[in-house]
Amino acid sequence: MIKNMVPVTKLIATFAFSFWALVMHTTIPLIILVAAELLILAVCGNLQRNSKAVGSLAVFAVFLGFVQLLGGGSVESAYVTGLRMMAMTVVFIILLTTTRLQDLTAAMVTQIKIPYEYAFMFTAALRFVPDFIAESKAVQEAQACRGLSVKGNVFKRMINYMSVIQPLMLKSLSRSETMALSLELRGFGSQQRHSFMSNVQPNAMDYGLIGGMILISAVVIYLRIHGIV
Amino acid sequence: MLEMKNVNFDYGNGVPILKEVNLTIGEGEFIGLGGRNGCGKTTVTRLLMGLEKPVQGDILKDGKSIIKQDASIRSRFIGYVFQRPERQMFRPTVAQEIAYGPQQLGMTKKETGEAVAEAMEAAGLQKLAYAYPPNLNRGEKQRVAIASALAMHTQYLILDEPTSGQDSTEKEKLMMLLTKLNDAGLTILLITHDMDILAQYCKRVIVMGHQTKYFDGTPQKLFTECDELMDLGLTRPQSVTLSMAVAGMKYCKSMAEFQDEMIKRLGGNA
Repeated sequence: MIKNMVPVTKLIATFAFSFWALVMHTTIPLIILVAAELLILAVCGNLQRNSKAVGSLAVFAVFLGFVQLLGGGSVESAYVTGLRMMAMTVVFIILLTTTRLQDLTAAMVTQIKIPYEYAFMFTAALRFVPDFIAESKAVQEAQACRGLSVKGNVFKRMINYMSVIQPLMLKSLSRSETMALSLELRGFGSQQRHSFMSNVQPNAMDYGLIGGMILISAVVIYLRIHGIV
Repeated sequence: MLEMKNVNFDYGNGVPILKEVNLTIGEGEFIGLGGRNGCGKTTVTRLLMGLEKPVQGDILKDGKSIIKQDASIRSRFIGYVFQRPERQMFRPTVAQEIAYGPQQLGMTKKETGEAVAEAMEAAGLQKLAYAYPPNLNRGEKQRVAIASALAMHTQYLILDEPTSGQDSTEKEKLMMLLTKLNDAGLTILLITHDMDILAQYCKRVIVMGHQTKYFDGTPQKLFTECDELMDLGLTRPQSVTLSMAVAGMKYCKSMAEFQDEMIKRLGGNA
């Protein structure tokens, strides 16, 4: 069902989940929210594939909780901070793993009325992340073949990592230049209107889900006013 | 000697990439590794280098397992030249770039200087010692990558399609360099789709196919006796096709050799 939803519904759902995470300020509802998001990710069949990303987010959530504690916050506020961060980021993983970037651009331009150039920049930046990670891995391998070891203390690793960063930056700059040229050669920005092949029109199910999310938002606000969540 | 023993490999999704691969790479050999796209050629070299770990089987050097050594350890005896050598270049001059490997090995300043000078001379890079590596052409970058491996006093050199995208002059210069290094005792394993290179320069050819080592022998045997060249994604070089078409002519591994043979037959001086 989630994969059949149009991008604009998923975008609204992403903002709705983030909004609920911001409104909730107790541990149990936030745990339920994070669990629901993980369940959705699992139902979509993307949990295993993204387990590393989810794991990294969990580590970062724990780190945030510690920072909150060190800053003088209570244990409850540390839990809430970490869980809130998890809730607001896992939902983006759901959005990005269930939506084609072309469809997301189409929805942003045709329905949210964001200028095409800005929508394209946003999705191009998202597309760049996995490419950048893959290139980083390739450069690390190339340097490992010349004796670079990623073992040792943090400072040694940081110094060693300099030999990865420089070729990576050069490659990224060259890639950006090639992409800019390629876009220009294909008329990027020369037309006021841009057409899309994707059909991103919401259907009845999407409208029903959007209605449901508005209703849940109202309930969450009501519960928060009464101190329940 | 490097050895792959009963090696099986997949990328964790259960789809086998390599099954029961057994191969040896003796010292001083010049081996061409061929086969279709996606047949596992690069995987074989990545396994040898330690960039991938076999699911089953062992990798040995001189009879001792090196399976637990990662790429940074194996770089002491195996040099790897990637298809895109710019991925490893990050220093401001060619000389400093080549010095990176010896420095990683903990060589002294004097030893590093000597190793760099020797490697640059062997790769014909003396004139480019102070050049900025990203500004070099592809052939020169390949030679910098080779020199980087030589400066680490490597015993084995693995090259992943080093001649792709190069003009014929650069290609020939590179192959002459590899031949010279091989004559000096360096073991070379070269991945290539270029049949002329397999025929002309390699002393032994390994062809990957059907997820395993499908052929292992001389280029002559491959191009004259193997009936499944097309199935393996290979073609017969023109020089071999022509020499086989002329009755009584010996196997010619290059067009230059075929031309000489024809001139001799016609009574001219080759």
